Amino acid sequence: MIPPEFDYAAPGTVSEALALLAEHGDEAKVLAGGQSLLPVLRMRLNAPGIVIDISRIEEIKGITESGDAVRIGAGATYQDVLDSALVSEHLGLLHKALTEVADAQIRHRGTVCGALVHADPAGDVGAPVLALDARMVIQGPDGERTVDASDFFVDLFETAVGEDELLTAVEIPKHTGWGAHYEKFVRVSHQWAIIGIAAAVRVEGGTIAEAKVGLTNMGSTPLRATSVEQALVGKEATEDAVAEACAQVGEGTDPPSDLNGQADYRKHVAGVLTRRAVVAAAGG
Amino acid sequence: MAMELHHTFTVAATPEDTWALLTDLEQVGGCFPGATVTSATDEEFTGNVKVKLGPIGVTYQGEGRFVERDDEAHRAVIEGLGKGLRGLGNASAKVTLQLKPEGEGTKADVTTSMNITGKPAQFGRGVMQTVSDKLLGQFVECIEGKLTG
Amino acid sequence: MTAVDDRPAEATHEVGRDRRRKEDQRLITGRTRWTDNMQLQGMLHLAMVRSPVAHARITGIDTTAARESTGVIAVLTGQDVKDLQGSLPCAWPITEDQKAPPHPAIAVDRVAFSGEVVAVVAARTAAAARDAAELVDVDYEDLPAVLELKAAAADEALAHPDLGTNRSATWIFDSAEAGTGGSVDEAIRDADVVVEREFRQQRLIPAFMEPRSTVVDPTGEQFVMWSATQVPHILRLMLAMTLGVDESKVRVVAPDVGGGFGGKLQVTPEEIITFLVARHTGRPCKWTETRSESLLSAHHGRDQWQKLTLAAKQDGTVTGLKVELLADMGAYLGLVTPGVPILGAFMFNSIYKFPAYHFACTNVFTNKTWTDAYRGAGRPEATFAIERMMDELAVELGRDPMEVREQNWITHEEFPFTTVCGLEYDSGNYEAATERAKELFGYAELRAEQQRRRESGDRVQLGLGISTFTEMCGLAPSRVLGSLNYGAGGWEHASVRMLPTGKVEVITGSSAHGQGHETAWSQIVADQLGVPFEDVEVLHGDTQISHKGLDTYGSRSLVVGGQAVINAAKKVIEKAKPLAAYQLEANVDDLEFTDGKFTVKGAGADQEGVGLAGLALAVFAAHDLPDGMEPSLDADATFDPVNFSFPHGTHLCAMEVDTETGASRMRSYVCVDDIGNVVNPLIVEGQVHGGLVQGIAQALWEEAVYDDQGTLVSGSFVDYTLPTTADTISFVTDRTTSPSTSNDLGVKGVGEAGCIASTPAVVNAVLDAIRQYGVDDILMPCTPERVWRAIQHGQAGASRPTAEDAAGHFAEGEPNQDPPGPAGVTGATTTTQEGGQA
Ligand SMILES: Cc1cc2nc3c(=O)[nH]c(=O)nc-3n(C[C@H](O)[C@H](O)[C@H](O)COP(=O)(O)OP(=O)(O)OC[C@H]3O[C@@H](n4cnc5c(N)ncnc54)[C@H](O)[C@@H]3O)c2cc1C
Repeated sequence: MIPPEFDYAAPGTVSEALALLAEHGDEAKVLAGGQSLLPVLRMRLNAPGIVIDISRIEEIKGITESGDAVRIGAGATYQDVLDSALVSEHLGLLHKALTEVADAQIRHRGTVCGALVHADPAGDVGAPVLALDARMVIQGPDGERTVDASDFFVDLFETAVGEDELLTAVEIPKHTGWGAHYEKFVRVSHQWAIIGIAAAVRVEGGTIAEAKVGLTNMGSTPLRATSVEQALVGKEATEDAVAEACAQVGEGTDPPSDLNGQADYRKHVAGVLTRRAVVAAAGG
Repeated sequence: MAMELHHTFTVAATPEDTWALLTDLEQVGGCFPGATVTSATDEEFTGNVKVKLGPIGVTYQGEGRFVERDDEAHRAVIEGLGKGLRGLGNASAKVTLQLKPEGEGTKADVTTSMNITGKPAQFGRGVMQTVSDKLLGQFVECIEGKLTG
Repeated sequence: MTAVDDRPAEATHEVGRDRRRKEDQRLITGRTRWTDNMQLQGMLHLAMVRSPVAHARITGIDTTAARESTGVIAVLTGQDVKDLQGSLPCAWPITEDQKAPPHPAIAVDRVAFSGEVVAVVAARTAAAARDAAELVDVDYEDLPAVLELKAAAADEALAHPDLGTNRSATWIFDSAEAGTGGSVDEAIRDADVVVEREFRQQRLIPAFMEPRSTVVDPTGEQFVMWSATQVPHILRLMLAMTLGVDESKVRVVAPDVGGGFGGKLQVTPEEIITFLVARHTGRPCKWTETRSESLLSAHHGRDQWQKLTLAAKQDGTVTGLKVELLADMGAYLGLVTPGVPILGAFMFNSIYKFPAYHFACTNVFTNKTWTDAYRGAGRPEATFAIERMMDELAVELGRDPMEVREQNWITHEEFPFTTVCGLEYDSGNYEAATERAKELFGYAELRAEQQRRRESGDRVQLGLGISTFTEMCGLAPSRVLGSLNYGAGGWEHASVRMLPTGKVEVITGSSAHGQGHETAWSQIVADQLGVPFEDVEVLHGDTQISHKGLDTYGSRSLVVGGQAVINAAKKVIEKAKPLAAYQLEANVDDLEFTDGKFTVKGAGADQEGVGLAGLALAVFAAHDLPDGMEPSLDADATFDPVNFSFPHGTHLCAMEVDTETGASRMRSYVCVDDIGNVVNPLIVEGQVHGGLVQGIAQALWEEAVYDDQGTLVSGSFVDYTLPTTADTISFVTDRTTSPSTSNDLGVKGVGEAGCIASTPAVVNAVLDAIRQYGVDDILMPCTPERVWRAIQHGQAGASRPTAEDAAGHFAEGEPNQDPPGPAGVTGATTTTQEGGQA
C-alpha cells in the first residue's frame, strides 16, 4: 500500500510546528507516532498536502512530575509511559490500560497524546485518562490553554484540539495507592476493544472510599460512568456488594452496533465487565 | 452499507412557504455536512462533499436532482449521487420530503437514506455506520434549522 | 577423475527422522526469491482499478486523466482486451448442463462483484500506477445485486441476468441408484429416530501469508511468468488455452511461494492481465497485490447451507443419511469452484456404516467474490456436518456422544471397507486413536468436572467436543477424476538425475508452497539411493525444469508425488545395475543394492562393492560401459494412484464458556491422528498445528462479511479476525499408525487433516457447555455475542423441537439466524441500519 504523495516537514520546536500549521491550514496533518495516520494515508482515506512530523521536538518529550500530577509530553510513546516509574507508581490505571494497546511494535511508536487527539472511541487510552480527571495542555497561535478531559472529547474522532493547535502534553493527577484494572473485551488478541472498562478504586478498610470508572467504545467518545462511581462509594469491596452498582453501567449510553456486537449486547457485557473490573481493582 | 433516518418536525410557517424553501436545491444540497454547491438550477445541482473526520478526509463529487416533485401534494424526492475522489467508491443519498399542514403551521416528514460503497465501508471497522448516521442527523438538523430558524 | 569419494556403507534411515527443514532458513528470513522480489530491466508496475459496486453496468470509462498522469505507459480497459482475454478457465464442469457466465479477466460491460477488475494501469513505478489508477473514472449504472445464498437460490434477483437463473448445476449421488447402498427415503420412513438439522458454513478467506504477485517477461523466446501460485503446471496449460498462445512459448515459474491453502490454486484474472499488458507494452510487468486487495478479490472458501437428515434405530444404529447443500459459487466459476462441494460428496458418511445415503448439491451464483478451494475443500464441510449430527443424535438418544459414534463406526477388523459411496477405505483403526486420545485428554475427569460446574451453576461452564473424522486425500486416481468430469488427471511426475559428483537432483511436479517438500523428498531419496540427505537437491516449480506435473493441493504431494519420486529412484537403481554387474564382474541377478552400494549376494560382509556415486561418474565419463548401455542413470516416473488415502483421527476439545458474556476459551485440545507412516514427524506436527488453528478459526473467529450493498466489510485484518499464536493454546498431539496400502511408503496425507477435523470438535464443545440452557446450535464463528444470545434465546424456552416432531421437514423455524439488527428509537427520529452482519 502506497500513500498519495505529500510534503514532509520535521520542525524542531513547537512554535515552528505551529507556524507550519498556520501556513498550511486545511492541507496539513500532524504526525506523531503515525500508527493511526499512516494506515489512513496508505488506505488513501486522506491525502494531506503536507505532513508535519512532531516526533523530533525535544521540548514535548518526556514524562515528568508536575506538582500533584504526572505530565506526559506529546513525544512520549506508549512504551515510554509503560517504562516510567512515575506512571507505575502513581497512575496504575493508565499503566494497565496501555499494556492492552495493540502490540509491542505499535507501542514503541504510537504516542499517548496522538491517541488522545485521534479520539477513536475504541482506543484504550481515552477512558483511563478521562476517569483519572486529566488535564490537556494545548498550544495554538494564541498560546497555551488547558482543557479538562471531561471537555476534551467532542465526538467521534473529534476533540477540543483545533486544526491550528497541538496537544503538547497531558497532565494526570496522581492516584497513588489506588487499585486499578483495565478490562478489555476482544475476540482475538490484536483486536480493538469491543468494549473496555477502566476502573480505579481507593479502598479504605475493605470499603470503597472513591471510585473512578471510564468506558471504552460505549459511545462516540470515551465515557465516564459517574453514577456507577457514586453508587460504589461506601460499598464493601466484594463482588456481591458491587454487582448491583455496576450492572446498570450501560444505561443512557449509545454504543455502536458492528460486526463484534450489537448495542444491547455491549450494554449487557459492560455491566458484567464493570463489576469484574471494579472487583479486580479493589484487589478481589 | 445503507442507513436510513426518519425525522419529523413542525414549522410555524405555512406549507407553501416551507415548500418553496425546501425545494430550493442550493439550500437543501448545502445542508449536507461539508457540502459546497457549485451550481444549481430548479431541477438539479452539482457540488462536492468533504467529509473530515479525525485523520480521515475524503471528498465526493456529484450531482443531485429531483426524481419526483409534486408541488400540489408537497411531496418531493431528491437523489444525490457522489463519486469519491481517489478511487474511493460511491456514495448516494435519497431525501424524501413530505409536508402537511398542522394547525397554523406545517408538519415536515423527512426521510433520508444513504448508501456508501467501496473503501470507507471496507476499511471502516464499522465506523462508517456511525459516521453516516451522524451526517444524516446533521443534515436534517440543518434543514430543520433553516425552516424554523 | 577422483573427485568422488564413495560413502562408507553405513545405514541411512532418513524416513521417520525429525529433520529440520532445509528450506526454512531462507523462507523464514525472507532472503529468497519471492515473486515480488523480482526486478527486471525496464519493468513496469501494474495497479488494478476495481469495481466498488457489486452489480452494475459499466456505462463509461474515462481513462484520459490516468493516461496523462506521471509515469504512466498504458491504461487498458475491458473494451481494449475483450477480444484477447478469453474467458478464465473452469476445469471442473460438474454436470453436462452446468450454467456459467463467461469469466472475463477485465470486466467488459458489466461487473458482477465488488472488487472485480475494470481497468489496469501500467506505470514506471508502483506508486505512479496506484496514483493513476485512482484517476480512472468509471460510470456505473447499478443493477440489482443478489447477495444472500438462499435468496439467490430462489432467483430473487439475478447475479447474471443473461443466465436466467442463479442455479448453476445440481449434482446428485444416491446410494440406491448407484447400487452401493439402500434408499434413504425408505430409511427415513422406517426410522425410530430422525434428526434434521440445518448448518451454515460461513464464507472464509484463505489469507495466505504472501500476497499474490505476478511478473511477466515478454522479451525472450518464451514468455516467462513468475507467479505466487500453487499450480505452475496447470497455469501454463491454462494460459495457453485461454490466450491462444502456444504452450511451448510459455514458461511458468513458481519461485518460493508463501502459503496458499488452496487460495493460490487458481488461474487468476491478474495473471492473465499481467500477461496481456506485458505483451501489449513489450516490457516486463509486475503486479503485486495489497493485503486488502487480496482479501477482497482472491477467491474465498466454504459458504454453504447444509440440510442434513439422519435416520437411526432406537438403539442408536444409524440407518440413513440425506445431505442437501446449497453452495455459493460467488459471481463466477474459478478453476475448480463447482467441484469443491462435490469433493465432500463421498465424505458425509465418514467413518460410520450408513446403509443408505443421498447427497445433492446445488451450486448457486451470487454477486460476491467467487469461491474455490480452501484447505480441505469440501471435506471440512462434510466432516463438520456429520460430526455435528452424531452429537445431535446422541442428544436425542440421551447417550454419550462417543458411545454413539463407537457403535456406528467401522471397526478395525472390517478394513478394507467399502463404504455406502463405493469408496474403499484401505486401513484404519478408529478404536486405537480414540482410546489414546481419551487417555491424553482425561475424558472421564473432564466429564466429571463438567457435571460439577453444571450442578453448582458455575458462571463458567465446560463443554467437551468430539470429532472422529476421516477424509479422502491424495488427489487423485485419474479414473475417478474422469468419472467426476474433472478436466485433468491426478498423476504426478518425478525425475531423479545422478550428477557426476554423486549429488542427486530430484525434480518433482508437485510444487511446494511452504509444506517442506525439499526436506521430505530428500529424506525419501536419501533412503532409496543411500546417499546423504544433504546431497539431494529438490527442484520444482519451473515448467522448464520440472516440465511435467500437477502441483500441490488436496494433500496429494507425498502420497502421489512422493511415490513418483520413489518410482524414479528405483529406476535409477535398475539402470545402474548392469554397470555395477559389469564392474563387479558378476551376474546382474546376483547383485544386491543396500545403503547406496551394489554388492554380490553371498560374497561376505567385507566386500567393497560399488557405490552409486562411482557409477554416476563412470556413466558421465562413459569410457567403459557394458555394450549397448545408454550413458545415463537418470530416470523419470509418472505415478497415477489407484485409490485415495484415508487418514483419520480422534480430536477432543474442551471449551470453557463464560455464560455471562458468551466468551469462550479453549481449555485443552487433543488430537490423535492416523496418517499412516510418517516421513518427517516435525513436518507432520507443523501441518497438524497449522491445520488445527485454521479449523478452530472457522469455529471461533473468521468470517467474510458483506454488507447489504455487497461491499466486503471484513476487508482488512482489523475486521477479518485471523488468529495469531496469542489466541491459541498448546495442542496435545499424538499418532497411531495404520499404514496405507496404496503406496510404498504406507503414508496418507496430512496437509488438511487438522483443518478438517477441528472445526466440529470446537463447536460441539461450545454447544456441549451450554446445552442445558436449551441451546442446540450456534452459527459459526461462535462469537461471544452469538453464544450469549443463544443462551438468552434458549433460556427463553425457544429451543428446537426434538425427535418426535422432527419429521416435519424443516418447518419455518429459525435455527442459525443472526440476531436482528437494532432499531433504536429516539424521539421522533428512527434510524435503520441495514448493514452489519450479512
Ligand atoms: C494494527 C494496529 C492496532 C492498533 N490497536 C490498538 C489498540 O488495541 N488499542 C488502541 O488504543 N490503539 C490501537 N491502535 C492505534 C494506536 O494506538 C495509535 O498509535 C494511536 O491511536 C495514535 O497515536 P500516534 O502517536 O501513532 O498518532 P498518529 O497516527 O501520528 O496521529 C493520529 C492523529 O492525531 C493527530 N495528532 C497526533 N499527535 C498530535 C498532537 N500532539 N497534536 C495534535 N494532533 C495530533 C494526527 O494528525 C492524526 O490525525 C492500533 C494501531 C494499529 C496500526
